[in-house]
Amino acid sequence: MIEAIFFYLFSAILVLSALMVITAKNPVHAVLFLILAFFNAAALFVMLGAEFIAMTLVIVYVGAVAVLFLFVVMMLDINFAALRKGMKKHLPVGGAVGLLLLGELLWIYKSWTPSMFAEQSAASPMPEGVTNTHALGQVLYTQYLYPFETAGLILLVAMIGAITLTLRRRGDVRRQNVSDQVARNPKDVIKVVKVASGAGVEL
Amino acid sequence: MHLQLETVAVFAPLLGGAIAGLFGKKIGDKAANFVTCTLMLASAGSAIALFYDILLKHDPRTVQLFTWISSGALNVSWALRFDQLATVMVAVVTVVSTCVHFYSIGYMAHDKARARFTAYLSLFTFAMLMLVTADNLVQLFFGWEGVGLMSYLLIGFWNEKESANSAAIKAFVMNRIGDFGLALGLMATFFLFHSLDFKDIFAHAAEMQNATIMFLGHGFGALNLICALLFVGAMGKSAQLGLHTWLPDAMEGPTPVSALIHAATMVTAGVFMVARMSPLYEYAVDVRMFITIMGGLTAFIAATIAITQFDIKRVIAYSTMSQLGYMFFALGVSAYSAAIFHLFTHAFFKALLFLGSGSVIHAMGGEQDMRKMGGLYKKIPHTYVMMWIGSLALAGIPLFAGYYSKDMILEADFARMGHVAHFAWVLGVAAAFLTAFYSWRLIFMTFHGKPRADKHTMDHVHESPPVMLVPLYVLATGATFGGWAFRKFFVGRMRFKFWGKSLFVLKGDNVISMAEHIPSWAGHAPAVVGVTGILVAFWLYMKATKVPGKIVKAFKPVHSLLFNKWYFDEIYHALGVVPAFVVGRILWKTGDGKIIDGLGPDGVARVVAKGSRETSKVETGYVYHYAFAMLLGVVAFITAYIFCVQR
Amino acid sequence: MTAFDFHDMIVALPEVKLAAMSLALLLLAVVSKKENYRLVAWLAVAVLAVTGALVACGTHGTAFGDMFVSDAFSTYMKLVVVTGSAASLIMATRYLEHEKASRIEYPVLILFATLGMMLMISANSLISLYMGLELQSLPLYVLAAIRRDSVRSTEAGLKYFVLGALSSGLFLYGASLVYGFTGSVDFTQMAGILQGHASTLPGIVTGMVLVLAALAFKISAVPFHMWAPDVYEGAPTPVTAFFAIAPKVAAIALLTRVLTGPFWGMMQEWQQVIVVISMASMLLGGVAAVAQTNIKRLLAYSSIGHMGYALVGLAAASAAGVQAVIVYMTIYAVMSAGAFAVVLMMKKDGRMVEDISDLAGLGKAQPLLAFAMSVLMFSMAGIPPLAGFFGKLFVFQAAVAEGLYTLALVGVLTSVVAAFYYIRIVKVMYFDEPKKAGFDATEDRGLKFVLALSTFAVMFFIVMPAPVLASAHAAALALIP
Repeated sequence: MIEAIFFYLFSAILVLSALMVITAKNPVHAVLFLILAFFNAAALFVMLGAEFIAMTLVIVYVGAVAVLFLFVVMMLDINFAALRKGMKKHLPVGGAVGLLLLGELLWIYKSWTPSMFAEQSAASPMPEGVTNTHALGQVLYTQYLYPFETAGLILLVAMIGAITLTLRRRGDVRRQNVSDQVARNPKDVIKVVKVASGAGVEL
Repeated sequence: MHLQLETVAVFAPLLGGAIAGLFGKKIGDKAANFVTCTLMLASAGSAIALFYDILLKHDPRTVQLFTWISSGALNVSWALRFDQLATVMVAVVTVVSTCVHFYSIGYMAHDKARARFTAYLSLFTFAMLMLVTADNLVQLFFGWEGVGLMSYLLIGFWNEKESANSAAIKAFVMNRIGDFGLALGLMATFFLFHSLDFKDIFAHAAEMQNATIMFLGHGFGALNLICALLFVGAMGKSAQLGLHTWLPDAMEGPTPVSALIHAATMVTAGVFMVARMSPLYEYAVDVRMFITIMGGLTAFIAATIAITQFDIKRVIAYSTMSQLGYMFFALGVSAYSAAIFHLFTHAFFKALLFLGSGSVIHAMGGEQDMRKMGGLYKKIPHTYVMMWIGSLALAGIPLFAGYYSKDMILEADFARMGHVAHFAWVLGVAAAFLTAFYSWRLIFMTFHGKPRADKHTMDHVHESPPVMLVPLYVLATGATFGGWAFRKFFVGRMRFKFWGKSLFVLKGDNVISMAEHIPSWAGHAPAVVGVTGILVAFWLYMKATKVPGKIVKAFKPVHSLLFNKWYFDEIYHALGVVPAFVVGRILWKTGDGKIIDGLGPDGVARVVAKGSRETSKVETGYVYHYAFAMLLGVVAFITAYIFCVQR
Repeated sequence: MTAFDFHDMIVALPEVKLAAMSLALLLLAVVSKKENYRLVAWLAVAVLAVTGALVACGTHGTAFGDMFVSDAFSTYMKLVVVTGSAASLIMATRYLEHEKASRIEYPVLILFATLGMMLMISANSLISLYMGLELQSLPLYVLAAIRRDSVRSTEAGLKYFVLGALSSGLFLYGASLVYGFTGSVDFTQMAGILQGHASTLPGIVTGMVLVLAALAFKISAVPFHMWAPDVYEGAPTPVTAFFAIAPKVAAIALLTRVLTGPFWGMMQEWQQVIVVISMASMLLGGVAAVAQTNIKRLLAYSSIGHMGYALVGLAAASAAGVQAVIVYMTIYAVMSAGAFAVVLMMKKDGRMVEDISDLAGLGKAQPLLAFAMSVLMFSMAGIPPLAGFFGKLFVFQAAVAEGLYTLALVGVLTSVVAAFYYIRIVKVMYFDEPKKAGFDATEDRGLKFVLALSTFAVMFFIVMPAPVLASAHAAALALIP
């Protein structure tokens, strides 16, 4: 009973704050609502007994992603009002399609039955007597080694991509290179020349 | 795949052609000639060895190369089928081709593009070898098309000549009509037998003799339909009446080309194909009857045209057509071996005649009109003798090659009962008379009488170099002894062992055996009319030289008919080309053009162009448009399904 | 709980080695003092060669708890993909150096993308499928935008990224629906479950449609194609060449595996989707290309059309159909490599050009190049006896054999329309008067090599198609016995 109340509470806040994310006039407010949505989602995960995912959601999404968003929104002076101008024009068509999709999904939900094979084909049932995090740890490097390592590669590629697209070595800026400075020998760089009067110096 | 005689025989010309064609400019004309001739020699040597091995030791074989197409029921592999029939053809093709290769070293000595020429010759030879050694119909078709393509290139070799280009196109188009028939035949065969391998087709031919194919709403005897379609292909390639008009025009090509294409190889492809498909043709009685009539008519009509022509090469071209007619009516009466025998001897003496006439043209500095020749025999004695030998063989004078084969055909034809065969026999004997007549008309007009050329040309007349004469000697040997030496194998008492299973004749229907029992007057008739023909020609062109002109005047309409080649070209022009113009103009003038144009090509083009612009407009460049389009697609699919599932 | 099994490593050896070698190459590229692009590029080609060899002599079987499968199909498709990647690397070198875009990350990213494609081809569960898909896509987004100082390149990368993210979203939504209704992510188990009554549930159908939509995005089939022309045009040409060759083959392979594997029981349902997508792609590819003036854009539409033809074979849903798809994609990859090699050679006065009208007069200026391009265009138009004709022939044959007459008819008609713009290129090359002098003669041997090889293959496919057909047949039988 209490579980149900909390479930509906969190869900309602989640849906409402998600709605606010896309309707809020102030972009900073939108990001803050996003954070609220994340927290509620995390709460739902906790209720499902998936505390590890809940914590990850809070740490990664709230702690890193959303804060990053906040910075971006604040640093880029985007005129959201102007962006939203087209909204009225596109709302009828877009809204109609969205509603159609929503209706269909509801209809699908109506026909949902738990798969009778769910039990037997569940990949790794929750072992007795260990925490959620522990259980995840047990399968992550064994049974799911392959997708886990692939995910690692994907993240590596993302990193390479980010560096490739943003790192800029500018030729016109002199950068300090300590080892070069230390290794510099006066003999190599200083040249003493005798200048005859009336003649120039060839550099 | 280790090096076998069979592969050498077939692929050496390909190698030669490839080298001369690709590197001809780099290695120079001399080297190109050397390479192609050497490889042709190797090919001919292998072919002769195989001839001995396969035909005289009775050891047919099939050499598997590799699987070509394997897709579902269609399973085609590349193999060289060296049975007796193929081996005869390979030997003929390679020997004649080798002679032509060597001959053209001399003949084309002053041409700019010798390497290209010799490359074409070699590739042509390869295509022909591919055709005759085919193990299935697809491979045969490949060779068939290859031959057609190369002949187009060779006929149009002097592409700066307008007439050569149009002749090449004419040959290509005419052949294409035939090829269309052949392709349809191929499809029908696959439809009926579910295979294109000769082995499978022949094995099931007997079961299919009562099968029918629905075509245009009628049921046709399946085998009759297939054979008729294939014969259309053969008519195109072998210049039978109706699809023959390209052959004389093809004389625009260099003379060695005429000798190779129009004597020994390409034009005989049709004959070979019918003989190859003999297991089917044996059951297609109606088609064979048709072939007999067509063959007889071709033999006669071509001969009548030949007696009026003045171009030395055209006379020989029409004679080729006429001889092909002989071969076809031999096929029509099931005398396959006789037809191939004639093909064999004909290759030698006709190549000899073509190359000989080439030698004459060479000597005259390019002149081809016999009215401007005459009195040449003292100046070019070797060529003169060669032309005599060729003509003797062509006219079927006893002891020369043509005598044995032509005689055999006419005897077999006579032995076959029925009006059709006898009709063809009468035409054949008449053609034999005309053959002798026009052959000696050619000799007398060219070599005897007073020189009609101007003095400058006559002074320059010279005997051809040895490189051109030696091939003539080789061919002359074949034309002289070929019939006598091989008669017993091809159509004599050894024939059953010689041919093995490569030719198929229904049991109890052996016209060759029956031919031994015909009355003696019928047997001697061809030789007698041949000699008569020579005598008449002698009288008309050596003694009473005024008479021919009078005859022409007296029979003006007949002469015009013959001289204009029975108006075939004009009829085709009137039937095919003019109506198209007329109909087009009427449609255009009455305004239907608007509808046809509007709905037809122009309309479609306009709609496509418009659609193209419209669809390009959709590409706005805005990401959210694109994203929305994707979502729309998804929603449309899902909606469609939800309604489908609910139903 | 399954522990680590050494056998897994043997089955997935090519992928493991490729990953290791790519990492090593990355390390080498970063550590070495000077940016030696050429060395890295050729090393990457060598890595791909080694990978190809490993694939060719690889072991068949499943690994990592059935998440990874290696069979005749995967072997064949991986070989095509690896060869395509190597070819596009070879083609890229000189161009990138000339355009001052030769960055050492380029070969490394190509290697990772290739790895992603190989994982896609071998995916045997929804999880590994998604992992492969992302590992393939991410480098592609970066590659499209690799000329970051060019607005068009950046725009192309960004567009591709945003739309790609949307398609990933669609995929995940679909996958979660399918998982929710079947209770499994394993292809083999899903196939068993969907064989029965479950296939008619609307939820599963919706999930399948969403998964299909995401995969259709990857092969740029209509209506999920709209990124292709913009990205093809905006991205640097070698990148476009890469896009057109390897990822398409991998995505088609993945689509084939998904439809003939887990969703085989829902053949009735997906067949209709594929038929519609295929028809729309053929139509749009044929019609929209007519008005194009930029050759890269034209090739984008042409590739949309080609995907439509390939899907014709898939719509047949038979072993012959799958075989036809495989053959078609092989031929398509070869033709595209050749066509892009020509585009990469289009340089006038030291500047790259990419308008169709720039090809004018090529027939006289560089007859050999013009001939090669004509052969490729005729082949793309499907004119016998070139390879492209056989590709089309086989897919249409397969469709007709399964009674899809309308589809085959639309295919034949649109290929007539498509022939128009392919032949227009030939016409421009031989008959149009050039505005300026012809192209600079290319010095790039790698480019010449790729062009010569593909032209040769296209011309002489007819002589010896047996090896391709036989391996494609074996590959198809691995999916549909």
